[in-house]
Amino acid sequence: MMTFIPPRLRKPGIYALAGLVFSAAWLVQGGRLWWVSILALIGTVAGTVRMYRVAGTDTDEGDRVGSRADERQQLVSLRSRALACNLTAITSFIGLTAAIAVKGTWGWPFLVTLLITGYGYLFGLGTYTIAEEGTPDDADAECQARHPVSS
Amino acid sequence: MRNRIREQRRQQGLSQAELAAALGVSRQTVISIESGRYLPSLPLAFAIARFFGLTVDKMFDPDDEGADA
Repeated sequence: MMTFIPPRLRKPGIYALAGLVFSAAWLVQGGRLWWVSILALIGTVAGTVRMYRVAGTDTDEGDRVGSRADERQQLVSLRSRALACNLTAITSFIGLTAAIAVKGTWGWPFLVTLLITGYGYLFGLGTYTIAEEGTPDDADAECQARHPVSS
Repeated sequence: MRNRIREQRRQQGLSQAELAAALGVSRQTVISIESGRYLPSLPLAFAIARFFGLTVDKMFDPDDEGADA
């Protein structure tokens, strides 16, 4: 589906969609804070316009937002996401441990987040592992017999 | 690891943007590779070498610490 959408519009479009859903959630809850949906909508429009403009620039950020990142930019993005995931897991662990220590009932979101990051990591290992483990072929076996790996 | 991309690019009178367009990468990536801050993937290294009509080992030299990249 994404291939039908111009690259420059993809991420701003996803941002706009998420912002609209968030805005609608405030409106649907119908409480005294319904007006927050207006603020969310304004923020969404402003953010979408900014992203669209950035996506047209000749910068690393522009290439990423414009969905035309090359291998180096994708690697940088991947490392940043990995760092964010690590920080999320560490923060969740600290939060869960603190909740246990003070017998707080607010620890379950930390537990859920920790489980998602943990299982997400294991799922990623299973999905993205390229090298298959198995019995070596004859040439490899001879090589390993002559040069055994010490570690 | 040193490389001869800048030298070759200048010999051919190309700008970083033109080389980037020919290789299908961003101008920022060409700058990073030229300065040695980013090591390209094997497919990209072959594409660079092929573009300049050289072999990969002529283009990238892990032992050539003294060369002007």
